[in-house]
Amino acid sequence: MAAETKKQEREVVLSVKDLKVNFRAYGGLVQAVRGISFDLHRGETLAIVGESGSGKSVSIKAIMGILANNAIIESGEILYDGKDLTKVKEDDFHEIRGKRIGLIFQDPLSALNPIMKIGRQITETLRLNQKMSKEDAKKRALELMTAVGIPEPEKRYDQYPFQFSGGMRQRIVIAIALAGDPEILICDEPTTALDVTVQAKILELINQIKKDRNLSVIFITHDLGVVANMADRVNVMYAGKVVETGSAEEIFFEPAHPYTWALLSSMPDLHTKERLMAIPGTPPNMIYPPKGDAFAPRSEFAMRIDYEQEPPMFKITDTHAAATWLLHPKAAQNGIEMPAVLKARIERMKRSGAVNG
Amino acid sequence: MKYVLQRIGAMLLTLFLVMTLSFMVIRLMPMSLFENPEVPKEIQEKLEDKFHLNDPLPLQYYYFMEGIVTDLDFGISVKLRPGLEVFDIIVTRLPPTMLINFLSLFISIPLGLIFGTIAALKRNTVVDHVISVFVILFISIPSFVFASLLQYLFTFVWPLFPTLYESTAVTVGQMMHSLVLPIVALSLGPIATLTRYLRGELIENISSEYLLLARTKGLTKTQSIVRHAFRNSMMPITNTLVSLITGIMGGSLVVENMFAVPGTGGLLTKSIFAGDHFLTVAILIFYSAISLVTILVVDLCYGLIDPRVRVGGGK
Repeated sequence: MAAETKKQEREVVLSVKDLKVNFRAYGGLVQAVRGISFDLHRGETLAIVGESGSGKSVSIKAIMGILANNAIIESGEILYDGKDLTKVKEDDFHEIRGKRIGLIFQDPLSALNPIMKIGRQITETLRLNQKMSKEDAKKRALELMTAVGIPEPEKRYDQYPFQFSGGMRQRIVIAIALAGDPEILICDEPTTALDVTVQAKILELINQIKKDRNLSVIFITHDLGVVANMADRVNVMYAGKVVETGSAEEIFFEPAHPYTWALLSSMPDLHTKERLMAIPGTPPNMIYPPKGDAFAPRSEFAMRIDYEQEPPMFKITDTHAAATWLLHPKAAQNGIEMPAVLKARIERMKRSGAVNG
Repeated sequence: MKYVLQRIGAMLLTLFLVMTLSFMVIRLMPMSLFENPEVPKEIQEKLEDKFHLNDPLPLQYYYFMEGIVTDLDFGISVKLRPGLEVFDIIVTRLPPTMLINFLSLFISIPLGLIFGTIAALKRNTVVDHVISVFVILFISIPSFVFASLLQYLFTFVWPLFPTLYESTAVTVGQMMHSLVLPIVALSLGPIATLTRYLRGELIENISSEYLLLARTKGLTKTQSIVRHAFRNSMMPITNTLVSLITGIMGGSLVVENMFAVPGTGGLLTKSIFAGDHFLTVAILIFYSAISLVTILVVDLCYGLIDPRVRVGGGK
């Protein structure tokens, strides 16, 4: 659990440093990611949470080298295995994708080639780029299919995607991601397109695989409920920046940024009697990112300085930090605290041990 | 197997309907087959009796179908080649028409695929824009305009090819020399159509999720495009082949006339004007039979390519 992992210094597998990604669009330059930094340690699950357009998917696309053609990596580094992935050429990137870093997609329904047999989709890379023999590749594919919980893999091997259900297709996508035996697994909202009952099974599967293969996982989601079950550490992203980072306990039990408060408050639980809180307003237009704290216009706790100057990351503990002026010693005197509703909810969560338990 | 039988059954039914329709439409035309001031009235009537032309239409239809089904007898030509079996006339006229149609098809498909692929891969660059301009030109201008243009340029300005089909041509080489211009005129449109379709399909497939998955699992860009995007684009393309082929055949009717090619295309228009009913009906049936066979072949290929059609069910 996170409490123990905090103590041991663990090896950093992937390190993102001050990454900035812009997109050329008709209206101008969209600043999708505005300088994010994080480390992924071996064997941990790092969740990146944020609403649509917060830049979470763009960050992982940059890591996989699959940004759209109109994207520009303005600055920053993605360090992996001594290499800066932002400088790797497209012709060499296939050495890293699949083999070192695997990706699980959001929508398994459209992620599989509809007219290619499942078996071939799993073995394709092994046969073509790892020069595995046909028999070995098939054997490996069948092992993988068993590992991801596909019944009768022999029979399923020769079937087409349309003969599989959504959950089964996501298992196939996971098997494909694991085929190259990567050490990092990136999951881009892997359960968003699935039924709730199937969701739980897929999450369980990802956790199981992570343990079995000692993978390091980056988990992208907007669903905090999922985060609680999966993550060791959490990055909360808003408007292309990491606004709060900490262990799962810290984010859930001692959130410090008003945006994290808002996210937690808008998450329904069984005890929600009062009206569910929604975050007012919409995310900012990233062609003209707001000055100061990007969340200020939507935050009831915004102070004047939030509109003028961007807050730095204030360190709360060794692992916990948040970018909000509320943590500045001067603001602390005002005694602004998280909403009472949220406080009560956190108390309940603490008692029930909802996080990672 | 059931799929194949179904397709063949549907094809035969369509062919039957087409035969019935063309028979009815042509026979209802107000022109007597044997009207000729030089032929005495009694002989005209004798001839009409011989070909059952004085019987009620349903009975005529019965004799007509009986002739075809029992011994491929489509009747005889009366006006254009009096006394000759219609079937034999078509057979002798077939080679140049076949050459024109098949060659323009065999030229159009690879060129269309090549230009479509280039346009898709170089999307929104100068190359793509240049191809697009030609595509629009070639799709919107009908083939007979190109035929006149080619005739002007390559038989008058630079006399490289004969203006009209050289009737002395016997070998394939000699025929080809006369057929280069009509083939080129017929191919431009289909090349453009195919280019446009393939460009659209490829672009859609290249930006699809499964192509992204193909890349993230470690295929190179070329591998993923060839093995996933290109292969999947072929499915809808096979469907456009039907309209491509019928388009070429339709264009060939006119272009054959312009170059005086002694093929079935020229024969059809001539027989209509001459009122050579047996011949007209037979050629119409011949053309629809060819179209139906291409549709059948395309349908069967479609089943081979797309497992969702073959295996059945699914989305």
